[in-house]
Amino acid sequence: MPQTLFEKIWDSHVVVESDNSPSIIYIDRHLVHEVTSPQAFEELRLNKRRVRRPDLTIATMDHNVPTSNRSLPIVDQISEIQIKTLEKNCQDFGIQLFDIQSPYQGIVHVIGPQLGITLPGTTIVCGDSHTSTHGAFGALAFGIGTSEVEHVLATQTIRMEKPKPFEIKVVGKRKNPHAITAKDIILSIIRHIGTNGGTGTVIEYRGEAISDLSMEQRMTICNMSIEAGARAGLVAPDKKTFDYLRGRKFTPKNYDDLVSQWQETLYTDSNASFAKSFTIDVSNIAPQVSWGTNPAMVCDVTDSVPFPEEYAKGNEDQKKAAEKALQYMNLKAGTKMTEIEIDRVFIGSCTNSRIEDLIEASKVIKGKNVSSKVRAMVVPGSQMVKKQAEEMDLDKIFKDANFEWRESGCSMCLGMNPDILAPGERCASTSNRNFEGRQGTGGRTHLVSPVMAAAAAIKGHFVDVREMDLN
Amino acid sequence: MKGNAIKYEQDNIDTDVILPGTYLKLHDYAELAKHAMEGIDPDFHSKVKDGDYIVAGRNFGCGSSREHAPIALSHSGIKAVLALSFARIFYRNAVDGAFLLPIEIDEDAYKSISNGDQLEINIEKNTVKNLTKNKEYKMKPFSELIGKIIAAGGLFKYKP
Repeated sequence: MPQTLFEKIWDSHVVVESDNSPSIIYIDRHLVHEVTSPQAFEELRLNKRRVRRPDLTIATMDHNVPTSNRSLPIVDQISEIQIKTLEKNCQDFGIQLFDIQSPYQGIVHVIGPQLGITLPGTTIVCGDSHTSTHGAFGALAFGIGTSEVEHVLATQTIRMEKPKPFEIKVVGKRKNPHAITAKDIILSIIRHIGTNGGTGTVIEYRGEAISDLSMEQRMTICNMSIEAGARAGLVAPDKKTFDYLRGRKFTPKNYDDLVSQWQETLYTDSNASFAKSFTIDVSNIAPQVSWGTNPAMVCDVTDSVPFPEEYAKGNEDQKKAAEKALQYMNLKAGTKMTEIEIDRVFIGSCTNSRIEDLIEASKVIKGKNVSSKVRAMVVPGSQMVKKQAEEMDLDKIFKDANFEWRESGCSMCLGMNPDILAPGERCASTSNRNFEGRQGTGGRTHLVSPVMAAAAAIKGHFVDVREMDLN
Repeated sequence: MKGNAIKYEQDNIDTDVILPGTYLKLHDYAELAKHAMEGIDPDFHSKVKDGDYIVAGRNFGCGSSREHAPIALSHSGIKAVLALSFARIFYRNAVDGAFLLPIEIDEDAYKSISNGDQLEINIEKNTVKNLTKNKEYKMKPFSELIGKIIAAGGLFKYKP
């Protein structure tokens, strides 16, 4: 029977499956961080269990680490306890840890691919919803909770019901790929299918516009699959995928043999059927900006803030949600998006903090200055990204323009460390969630691409980045 | 199982409002409970009573995988969330740790239940009784896997 890529990966990882019992799925890689793991390790200790496969488990610290000078002690004592706890847990259970001083430290979803831990055709889990990022490499990767983290630590398996395959065809050629980015594509998709459009599914992103994207851009797309409610998002691996992973720290020694195997198996059969399908043409999309408090409340930068009635199209619940969002965001319907002034800019997060993101943003910024009303920061996704950027002198471009140049971590994406918005502050952010209070109590988040964030930093308000010289 | 409804008439109640990120550093469950629903309802902690239910719209618990979200609700006394639909990770977290019951209800039940109504949940019969309004609603039955985990009292107690 013809199968989708997702079904092939699923089938090759089933440990137990019968009509009468739910599936047990084998996990190839388990990524661990400091926030969702302490309780899982504690329970292992209480129940006198070991970690089943420490060699397939890799840890780093990213969520609450400070992004300021790392030679100084951590000021927040509770954060420090969480960090020390992970160190002790990794020591006790024999797990490799990239700690705060490691050159490999970084956001777990940025370092996985950079280190060659993420491989096509594998199953990858992590106690973090944005684990879907790794799907860009043709892996089945999804976020789990702490009880499931414990289950994977103890058994290297997971119990779950099989999701349904959902095809999203991305067609057309972007007119200006420097201005219309992967972020704009995924925001457009979520805007159309909604925050629960992908519930119960694994999305496969397909089509010429996906093949056109670099690996880092595909990661941005897969990263936000969860914002559409999907279990995971993936892209079939191709030459770009194989080239990206060749020769990295943990890339297997028999890599070329593996590539031959992957080429033979890791694709959706031509007549396989999907439970659901959606097509989007990207040849005419504009840069996207979120105006509300969920990632489907998005419009073109050339639009105005929508009127709740218009947005709701007759749905009373949607209308109420839009009214509430506008109130929280302190926005008036009908205001041009380009007239919205901002206080802060955040370039970072597992969505957009990789080297290509920083290169593209730096092109907008080079030789210009951040608006005097704006405080802007760049938080590279990993220490490796930071080092690479510094070798290219990108840090100088950002610093000369008055951007803060920080150490790597999740930072202002989720407001766990000291990098937060003050109540009422408005931020152009390259992150993934514009939920109420996400970046700090009372903070107002607008999701945009790195080039849109950079342009807003310079002008002090949103601008159509297509009007700027990006070469 | 009887309790009173605390109703939030909205979709997409995300884990960042159920438990804001800044509290993810806390390990003490009683402390987490003090901040439950803080992002959407700062009075929640003072009004919630042991045995209460939350009633909400679609896609409840969307966003982060933080298990701290169902833990904070559970330790506030919430025994079940009745919603039109759930985000998957929240749903599994609620069940895996036996923190609370995630119960899917239909539009009629959602519209009919008012804030403060006394409800009685029966997961054997898949019914929700509204004792205040003297009505009975159907809930969506749990899938086989979820039903077994709930019956066992959590993922680690479930032995197939």
